[in-house]
Amino acid sequence: MTHSLAVDLGAITLLGALLALDRRAAFQLMLSQPLVVIPLVGLLLGCLPESIWLAAIVQLLWMASLTVGASVPPNETLASVVIGGIALLHARYFDGLDRATEALAVLVGAPVSLVGRWLDVRLDKENAHLAARADRAVAERDYATLSRLPLVGLMRTFVADGALVALSLIVGLALLVNLRPTPGGPVYEALGTVGTYILPALGIAVALTTLRRRRALALAGASFVLTFVGLLWLGRSE
Amino acid sequence: MSAQIDRGVLARILWRSFFFQAANNYERMQNVGFAYCIQPALERLYTGDDLQRAYERHLDFFNSHAYMTDALLGAVVKLEEDVAAGRTSPEQVRAFKATMMGPLAAIGDSFFWASLKPFAAALAVAGIFSGVPWAPIVFLLLYNLFHLGLRAYGLSAGYASGERVFEKICRIDLVQFSDRSHYLAGICLGVASATLLDTTLHGPFALGQGLEFVVLVGLVLILFQSLKRKLDMPWLLYGFSALTLSFVVGLNTFFPLFR
Repeated sequence: MTHSLAVDLGAITLLGALLALDRRAAFQLMLSQPLVVIPLVGLLLGCLPESIWLAAIVQLLWMASLTVGASVPPNETLASVVIGGIALLHARYFDGLDRATEALAVLVGAPVSLVGRWLDVRLDKENAHLAARADRAVAERDYATLSRLPLVGLMRTFVADGALVALSLIVGLALLVNLRPTPGGPVYEALGTVGTYILPALGIAVALTTLRRRRALALAGASFVLTFVGLLWLGRSE
Repeated sequence: MSAQIDRGVLARILWRSFFFQAANNYERMQNVGFAYCIQPALERLYTGDDLQRAYERHLDFFNSHAYMTDALLGAVVKLEEDVAAGRTSPEQVRAFKATMMGPLAAIGDSFFWASLKPFAAALAVAGIFSGVPWAPIVFLLLYNLFHLGLRAYGLSAGYASGERVFEKICRIDLVQFSDRSHYLAGICLGVASATLLDTTLHGPFALGQGLEFVVLVGLVLILFQSLKRKLDMPWLLYGFSALTLSFVVGLNTFFPLFR
């Protein structure tokens, strides 16, 4: 079991470092969004169905994380790899996955987004050397070196993000396993309440801040009421 | 298409543009990426000192939206062709890049980051809460239909129209698309909230007697107002979680709420 856990940790690290490249350095196909990252981690660990709900909640929480202009927002990709990784590893190797465990995984993994932002800034600062090397390559008419510089940038991002993911997964999983309270106790119930009410409500609130027009907010309110009434009418709700 | 810049060269530029931000740096932002992307065209058009000077002008400061840069790359390749043929000056290329990177970035930020991404994500989240497990695939397909389509179109339209590329991009009317996807994002978020509430009513942590409605809607409104007042998401996450833990544990100790 220990061997398999180590292999899974390595596989999640590799997947996370690859997906982190998609966030800005390469492609930007949105494979780096929590909505995709967490189900991919779930697919890797063989627990895809358990990953979907968590993916939606984490996506909402970091919905406003946009790389507009030269701004460097919190790194939602690294956070979602760690949150999804520790929650789903807990589901596979320890004691399943429920709202309380998901809430604890989010609370443990959320700071990774801020460490990830710090790392992004560091990498951009370090990349000043690449601009200087490009100048030198052109001065020396060594154009083959110029064509290799983006690869150097990719490798730096891959290694740095991979190291952060590996470290965060180990620390995060240890924290999750040791901090998770016994089911049925008051702390467990309280974490379940955080997972059921606070995380979705905060996620929806964050997502609503991305709507900059009053009319879009009004449409959100109207569609909420109509859908809820519709669900009541269909008898799905009490 | 000239004899020198054929479809193969444009295809290589398109492929390289996916790595446009790989060497992003604070000094000159995406300058290395721009030079890397346009390299196949420069090597086809110039040799010797001319090639060196061409590289030098593309290592200037450059900062734009990654997806919209394909349109600019196409137009700059066209301009470089004119420079190589002696029809325009190299300074015109520099001036054109400096003038266009800002407006194209503004269009890209407003359409992709502020409208399409929230809409596609909100649609997928609403799908997940409604029990559609393959909703993330819809998110990827919807987003990349516009993303990849605009990249390929931008490069081709940029090369075909040169300095008039901005008119071509404006003709697509991305601003109107932006508005519509913004409103659709609002609708999807409303649907997502309602289905989430419906799920909570039937979950293991349901409070009963319709309290879920009051709690969830009240929380969303309080948190939304807090975020609008510039309180960060992590602060609210930890603050409200600590409050909930204290409240529920305290309440449970004196008045057992959960069975």
